[in-house]
Amino acid sequence: MRRIAWCLAAVLSLQLAGCGSKSADQHVARTPDDLLGIWVPDAAPRELTVNGSPPPLTEDAAATYAQHKARFVEGDFGYDPTSWCAGPGLPRILTMPYPFEIRRSGDHLAFIHGWYRWFRTVDLNGPEPQPPLPTTLGFPVGRFEGDTLVIRTVGLTDTTVLDAAGLPHSDQLVITERLRVLPDGRLEDRMTFEDPDTFTAPWETVLTFHRDPAARVTDDVCIDRLAKGEPAEDLSRVSPPPATTAKPASPPAPVAQPRLTGMWEAKTFGIFVPEAEAKFNPNGKALFDRNAAAMKSGHIMQTAWTSCRPGAVSTMTMSREAIMVLETADEITILYEMPRMVRRIHMNAEHPKDLQPSYVGHSVGRWEGDVLVVDTIGYNGFAELGAGGQPTSAQMHTVERFTPAADGSYDIEVTITDPAYYTEPVVLKRGWKKKDARHPLEYDCMENPREEDYKSSYFVHEQYRPVCMRVAGKGMELSKMVCKPWTGE
Amino acid sequence: MFTVTSLRRGAIALLSSALALTAVAHHSTAEFDYTKQQTLQGTVKEVQWTNPHSFIQLLVPKAGGEPVEWAVEIGSPSINIAMGWKKNSVKPGEKVTLLISPARNGSPLGTLRKLTFEDGRELVGVAGRVRPTPPAAPAQGK
Repeated sequence: MRRIAWCLAAVLSLQLAGCGSKSADQHVARTPDDLLGIWVPDAAPRELTVNGSPPPLTEDAAATYAQHKARFVEGDFGYDPTSWCAGPGLPRILTMPYPFEIRRSGDHLAFIHGWYRWFRTVDLNGPEPQPPLPTTLGFPVGRFEGDTLVIRTVGLTDTTVLDAAGLPHSDQLVITERLRVLPDGRLEDRMTFEDPDTFTAPWETVLTFHRDPAARVTDDVCIDRLAKGEPAEDLSRVSPPPATTAKPASPPAPVAQPRLTGMWEAKTFGIFVPEAEAKFNPNGKALFDRNAAAMKSGHIMQTAWTSCRPGAVSTMTMSREAIMVLETADEITILYEMPRMVRRIHMNAEHPKDLQPSYVGHSVGRWEGDVLVVDTIGYNGFAELGAGGQPTSAQMHTVERFTPAADGSYDIEVTITDPAYYTEPVVLKRGWKKKDARHPLEYDCMENPREEDYKSSYFVHEQYRPVCMRVAGKGMELSKMVCKPWTGE
Repeated sequence: MFTVTSLRRGAIALLSSALALTAVAHHSTAEFDYTKQQTLQGTVKEVQWTNPHSFIQLLVPKAGGEPVEWAVEIGSPSINIAMGWKKNSVKPGEKVTLLISPARNGSPLGTLRKLTFEDGRELVGVAGRVRPTPPAAPAQGK
């Protein structure tokens, strides 16, 4: 506080030198860039409050909240989509003890969350959105007021709850956030909620976050954690802020000339990859034939894609809907709407020697003139190239070459090498074209896993079996979500 | 500009060019027999307006027994909106007639071709748009 007072005095006396510098233990925000980087929630509040008091609820909403709270106490979280790995929504996702990263490229700012691949892109230079349908994270538009980022979000679906205890809301909800870095280096998100269908007056709550140099935003696949018997939201991860806040890393250097920043979509999409079928070795052919036989007998084939854990190769073979790209000098970040995924292309870097296998693998990229070349290894073998269930292994190696076309689009040549199942590289021709939209929509793959679907399903890998599913109600009883390992019984 | 109109236009362009693939975006539709059509008359019990597919749960009266609950698949919310549906187009308690293609395995499950309300209004399902006439022999996975 003393430093702010000093700087204020300096501004008044026009002695500005020194106000923008930072000491190791005190980081006063001076530019919007101070918001960038990885943040860890200070706490995982189960109930949102207004200075410790409940929000001003209408009578109906208060009754709903009371019902949810009673279930919360009993450990029945079926009112919260988070419990079966569906979209938590805003601000629920910010109350979960998972780090998130704020990245920015031009007019696009993104929150990349450490919980099940969710991301939120904020339009910093767009018109008032007119949402075609409500989504869990809505349609955020932001602007900087000095060093404070103000985000207004509309178009929020009423199927989420605002906190873990089940605070309800309608799809008329408008959330206004004011984000700034506090004098002690923490991030403050001061949120105002306006929803006349739910609240008798606007109200405000505050969430805070700290930096932790060890925190990473990794590729989290909620349903795999559920399958291991872990909770959808792991509260043991809560890490209160340290006594002294870590020094922020320097924000990533911007690129001199962004080439891919913005919104794209696939030029064409398909879900079948016949190119691969001509290259099968006997092992690949045997697995493919087994899958084909299951489909011919009328089964739904459950692949990594359909069971909501797609690998990065699916973005190459079956990418579609909106694709948002952010660029910094060290990373090209690709945010895919469907299948929902975050890919990070480490620019001018090498693959590390001790890679942990993952769905997304490890990608390095470089520009060769106008052509972007992305090389990815470190896959986990749980991905199919297409809806035919063409298998892949942990040996898979992919190379994508993005070549600019005359019309401003990109042609993408994908080369997939996987000697476990293919006799020679599979080469696919794909492409991206600019998408005329300011906001991606959402693909909440786990929104409604239905027991009836699983009853007639064939699982390409045992790992693709579900844990949570919607079970039909008997007679007039409504359906409900039940979480238990699926045995097929 | 991001407007409902431009998005709808985009969505409709998508429909005309690639709806066949969109319809099977989440999983193959091999479970349904598109060569067959069946009419269900009943009362809407539940509407699940969700990704990756929406569903209408329909209670169909059965002579001398409890009503049978059918699950009828419609598209994802974004596809449904592009086809003229709204979240509350169909409400629990409404009496409707559904033209469907049934599941191959004989369970009370189908994919919607056309929904008709009591007053004669109609809504078309994805299968009705993609497969207006049943193909002679369904191709693998389609």
